[in-house]
Amino acid sequence: MIGTIAKFESGTLLRSPQTWAICAVIAAIFGYLFLQSLEDFLKVQPSLALQDHPPGLTGYLSARFLATLAPLFSVLGPLFAMRSFSDEFRHQTMALWQSSPVSNTSLVLGKFFGVLIPLTLLAFLAALMPAAMGLIVNIDLATLLLAALGLLLVAASCAAIGVYFSSLTKQAMIAIVASLGVVTLLWLLGGASFTNPAMLALQQFSITSHLSGFFQGYLQSKDLLYFVLLTVLFLALTVIRLGSLRNSGNHNA
Amino acid sequence: MSSDPTPLLQASALTRMVDTTAVVDNVSLSLQRGDILGLLGLNGAGKSTTLKMLAGVLTPDAGQISIAGHSLLDDPMAAKQQIGFLPDQPPVYPDMSVAGFLKLSAQLRRVPSNNIEKQLHTIVERCELGSVTKKRIGNLSKGYQQRVGLAQALIHKPAVALLDEPSNGLDPQQMQSMRTLITEVAENSCVIFSTHLLSEVTAICNRIAVMHEGKLVHNQRSDENPEQLQSLFNQLVQKDSGNTVT
Repeated sequence: MIGTIAKFESGTLLRSPQTWAICAVIAAIFGYLFLQSLEDFLKVQPSLALQDHPPGLTGYLSARFLATLAPLFSVLGPLFAMRSFSDEFRHQTMALWQSSPVSNTSLVLGKFFGVLIPLTLLAFLAALMPAAMGLIVNIDLATLLLAALGLLLVAASCAAIGVYFSSLTKQAMIAIVASLGVVTLLWLLGGASFTNPAMLALQQFSITSHLSGFFQGYLQSKDLLYFVLLTVLFLALTVIRLGSLRNSGNHNA
Repeated sequence: MSSDPTPLLQASALTRMVDTTAVVDNVSLSLQRGDILGLLGLNGAGKSTTLKMLAGVLTPDAGQISIAGHSLLDDPMAAKQQIGFLPDQPPVYPDMSVAGFLKLSAQLRRVPSNNIEKQLHTIVERCELGSVTKKRIGNLSKGYQQRVGLAQALIHKPAVALLDEPSNGLDPQQMQSMRTLITEVAENSCVIFSTHLLSEVTAICNRIAVMHEGKLVHNQRSDENPEQLQSLFNQLVQKDSGNTVT
């Protein structure tokens, strides 16, 4: 059932011209940033060669190109997820799901995975550009896959935030603004230099403090867990929200 | 009517509160195979809320619902497999094709994959949608969209069909076809449809229930005391003279 719902959701996204317009712009940005990173690498290559352990092309592109895309993916997640429930409320189609033998958990997971499909394709496209260099030089595939995983995890957790906020309102615009508010906060927490112990603890919840390893070629289980928990938290909140809708009956927020 | 004594739909003491007001107050219903219950009432009487509770869209504040022997509250997945629900606004996706949408509806209702095409063909024929199956739903007239909504509610041959004002947007010829369809559906299941038109329920229903201010004020077979029903309904209409009722 989750597969059926995911197929429906991704189909809805892929039928929308907005999705293709976004993807076209994103692909152009990918291309520009990739070529710029490649040019930078060629410029600094002589000085890198003097280092004891110089980064290879893959390491350089992961840190400079793919890492740069992470904030972009954290916007794309909510952008693709903002209509997942808002549109159901607006078109009054929630009754179809609520009267069908579909649990709230299946519905939320189906919608989430449906949103994740185009995001995965975009992460694949981003990783494909450095991977294409493998035709002329040796590349470190593991480093590349780890960086792509980092992008996907950022996109997935931010999409989960988007799915949750879309379940709160029938206005997709409100959902995206609220989602991006939370996402921005999660980024900003990592950028500030706090001295207060409470704020330092809060900093552990930032995306930045858990993302750098993915682009530097090492994977820590705590980082992986952070993104998984962030995703599960917001999906669980969405399930609770849908349950409360059956009690309140108010789809008109 | 079947000789099977187990009701296909059994609702007891359903109550739904909004703040401190009971919008549905202690409503009980029991329907057997072959029953077509017309749920009559003026706007705001509680018909739609009752149907939404019976369909599992809303949770009742009190009361129990059993669909084909399965409790809707304790075993919702099994119960919902036996429910077909058409809300007052057909739950259709404007950007999907009719066939695509009906296929999705069948999958959601757990129709076996090897049976979907057959049931799709049957329901398209019964709802007279053959000429529009490849069209986008958003490009169809309101009457056709209503028929697509009806088709999604019936594609899995539910034991209980709950139809909220199914004749909305239909022309007289389409209304007649819809009545024939409801009569056919009720041969193997039970049907509740809500309306505020007395003429509509008397035309096809073998049972009539009247709701007023959340309460069930009349619940009898259609051939019992038709004069009493007419008189009761006239009184309700006079009380609420702002509503136009035929």
